[in-house]
Amino acid sequence: MNSTFGIRHIVQFILFVALQILLFDNLVLFSTGFCFIYIAFLLFLPITINRLVLLLLGFIVGFTVDIFYDTMGIHAAASVLLAFLRPLILNLLTPRDGYETSDSANLHIMGWNWFLTYAFILIAVHHAAVFFLEIISFEWFTLFKILLSTLFTGVVVVILQLLFFSAKRAKR
Amino acid sequence: MRKLFAFIYQFRAFLVFVLLEAFCIYLIVQYNTYQGAAFFNSANRYVGRVLEFQSGVTDYFNLSTVNNTLARENALLRQEVLKFKQASIADSTRSMDTTFVEPLDTTIVDSLRTGPQSFILHAGKVINNSVRRTNNYLTLSIGTKDGVQPGMGVIASNGVVGRVKTVSQNYSTVTSLLHSQMLISAKIKKNNTMGTIKWQGGDYRTAILDYIPLHVKLAKGDTVITSGFNTVFPEGIMVGTISSVAKEADKSFFTVKVKLAVDFAQLSYVYVVENLQKAERDTLEHNAGILPNE
Repeated sequence: MNSTFGIRHIVQFILFVALQILLFDNLVLFSTGFCFIYIAFLLFLPITINRLVLLLLGFIVGFTVDIFYDTMGIHAAASVLLAFLRPLILNLLTPRDGYETSDSANLHIMGWNWFLTYAFILIAVHHAAVFFLEIISFEWFTLFKILLSTLFTGVVVVILQLLFFSAKRAKR
Repeated sequence: MRKLFAFIYQFRAFLVFVLLEAFCIYLIVQYNTYQGAAFFNSANRYVGRVLEFQSGVTDYFNLSTVNNTLARENALLRQEVLKFKQASIADSTRSMDTTFVEPLDTTIVDSLRTGPQSFILHAGKVINNSVRRTNNYLTLSIGTKDGVQPGMGVIASNGVVGRVKTVSQNYSTVTSLLHSQMLISAKIKKNNTMGTIKWQGGDYRTAILDYIPLHVKLAKGDTVITSGFNTVFPEGIMVGTISSVAKEADKSFFTVKVKLAVDFAQLSYVYVVENLQKAERDTLEHNAGILPNE
């Protein structure tokens, strides 16, 4: 939690939200697969981050996307839910000898198994929250939408990890 | 007392979570009320600027389609003008009928014949648009400065688009017809049967025409237009054509699918309809105890 934390994550925040609004807004697979890449910002935050700070960040990022999407509160609610569940999932997935101080939510450090379980559980919860809040009622089509969207976002998150988060840089 | 504080401190994360979620739910409910004005949406000045920048980049890619639409609209308008010209040439009352006296105050006759001019169109550019979500909105780059007010109807050159939700000085947010809670009063042109247009998600080219009773004769290809029964849209604006009619066993209405006339994915310029008699008609209907139908 030094000063480099701040700048790096502020840049990530702006980058992911811009990516969401300018690019992924127009990128929808078969009218069912949506990609909400902005939650990668929450997924890539340090493991040891304060829970209250995480909740607030979740609200802020969701709210920003909401303003552009004209879906007042839906993305904010889903992101806050994700931010609340993240520490619990991290606890569940603790390696045998606990997290080390240098650990971060990074594919190269934590390994494929850990990262895929972590990312896909949280993405699925977030997407389920978004799609159910949108229509309030239950439809079978929504389940299909959640499944495809979770896959889509998950693949994009993994690609981002492979491209921009090298093992060397994370060790620093 | 100290124990209470210790308790609260222990569960602070959960409490903050519940508080934030409650706030989000409040926002959702408040924004969903049909014309609930909110400050934080795409009509906001700074958000509008970002969207305008984005559309400034992407606009170049569909210039040819825009030109085509405008040219076609021009041709249509020219046709109309020609029709009127020919009608006035063919109208020989003035030269043939010696007893015909032209009234001095032409406005009276005009208003008897066609009604006073009561609609103004404001042209606006679409700077943000979506078609694939459950609830779709458009953002236009015109606002109160250009005379746009919440609740006005929005049409494109070839049909109905939606209804203005919120307005700022320079931008406005429009609830698209592709919104799960948008209802538009419509009728079938052939026999004036009233129904309601709504969109059920999925394909953005088809909507449902509801409440058409079973005794009405329908055919594929029939034109559906706005009914003019509320003050939002003028009568006779194109909505679409019927693409399929189905009679379901346990329903007292037809299930009618309508192919929408407007291709929402291609929208670039739209018109906001200002109804000059809206206030008068709404107060009259309100005073008479009629609830406004959306």
